[in-house]
Amino acid sequence: MKKIISFLLVFAFGLSSCEKDDICDPDTPTTPRLVITFYDINNSTLRKRVNNLRVTGKDQELSVVFNESALDDTKYLTSADSIAIPLRTDTDITTYTFINNYGSTNASLVNSDEINFVYSRQNSYVSRACGFKTIFNLSAFQRTDPTGDGVWMQDIFIINPNIELENETHIKVFF
Amino acid sequence: MKHILKYFFSIPLLFSMFLVHAQETVKTKETAPEKPKSEIKKPAGQETATDTILPKTNRYGLRVGVDLYKLTRGFYDKDYKGVEFVGDFRLTKKYYLAAELGFEDKTTDDDRLNSTATGTYIKGGFDYNTYQNWLDMENLITIGLRGGFSTFSQQLNTYKIYNPNPYWGQQTPIVSGEKYNGLTAAWLEVAMGLKAKVFNNVFVGFGVQLKLLVSNKEPGNFENLYIPGFNRTYDGNFGVGFNYTVSYFIPLYKKKVIVPELKNVSPKK
Repeated sequence: MKKIISFLLVFAFGLSSCEKDDICDPDTPTTPRLVITFYDINNSTLRKRVNNLRVTGKDQELSVVFNESALDDTKYLTSADSIAIPLRTDTDITTYTFINNYGSTNASLVNSDEINFVYSRQNSYVSRACGFKTIFNLSAFQRTDPTGDGVWMQDIFIINPNIELENETHIKVFF
Repeated sequence: MKHILKYFFSIPLLFSMFLVHAQETVKTKETAPEKPKSEIKKPAGQETATDTILPKTNRYGLRVGVDLYKLTRGFYDKDYKGVEFVGDFRLTKKYYLAAELGFEDKTTDDDRLNSTATGTYIKGGFDYNTYQNWLDMENLITIGLRGGFSTFSQQLNTYKIYNPNPYWGQQTPIVSGEKYNGLTAAWLEVAMGLKAKVFNNVFVGFGVQLKLLVSNKEPGNFENLYIPGFNRTYDGNFGVGFNYTVSYFIPLYKKKVIVPELKNVSPKK
């Protein structure tokens, strides 16, 4: 009898430990974003904050949300020294427009650059609940200046072409 | 399917013919030596006491059956096809050698993955009957151990990319169709079961199994989400199983039950 009870206990514990793998844990590393860190052009070791940077994907109506808690358009703006932007998982090119000093009263400060990120993709298995993730291998980028206001992102370096995790910098931008 | 069912019924019927014979011959053997005893019985008074206690026998033999749960599931679950044959052989009064042999084809449809596992498996081990039968009852409440082994293939049908930042929109499921062959898995299981004799040599039983995966050859860039015989896999190594069997007992020989308690009681009288 004791044996049967102990078996039932093991059975119950077994079941209770089984249920949680149905929901994808947000802490699981899944499809990573591209992490860009900004540095001072005059002092290459010093991180520099951007000012009201707005990043919009090509042909997208909305910009990338940086501040989830803001209600108005300020949620699209960031003044941090590092940003993470999602890459397309269905094509090998993602194009973004980076507008620094967005909405500034001084129109001469507003500067817009466009960058094409070119990469190869690989779909990698994560788990039953999360399915697959896409990891990227960045091969090249092209910087253009469609608005003709000059480039504000003066130097761009690919530091880590293997985009698998978000806790490391993939691209360094000097301005 | 109809043909298989036909055979299922006709084979036991065939065996039942042999059975009747087997039992009769044994009875005649038993009755034959009794006759002279009854003739000599008159002078010996003690003989009557031993005569009234009929020698209790246990039947030993092979029990074969099929898992009805797996067999019938194919009718209502289009994602499942499977069959399991079960068998056990009585070794001693309490111990039975037991084995299961099966085939499964199961499509697992999760939120983000759809895959099909196909393969065969074999499980072998023993059952211990904890049930104390009265008279000539032959019911079983068993606890047993099994080792299981499965060879199978897995096909990834469709999958979704998990993207926590769907700025560019969520991607539609990707059709893969990639097949991973030559996969194997081995596991241990604790089986608890119940078998009841419903009528002549026909047993109905159900059982639950707790499984512990010991080896699992995983495909590259994928996972074994379902292992034939082991069932669904979980984060840990645990698994569970269930079966509902109908089986037929083929008696091969009988053994007299030695009842030492009765011998002790009779001299006291």
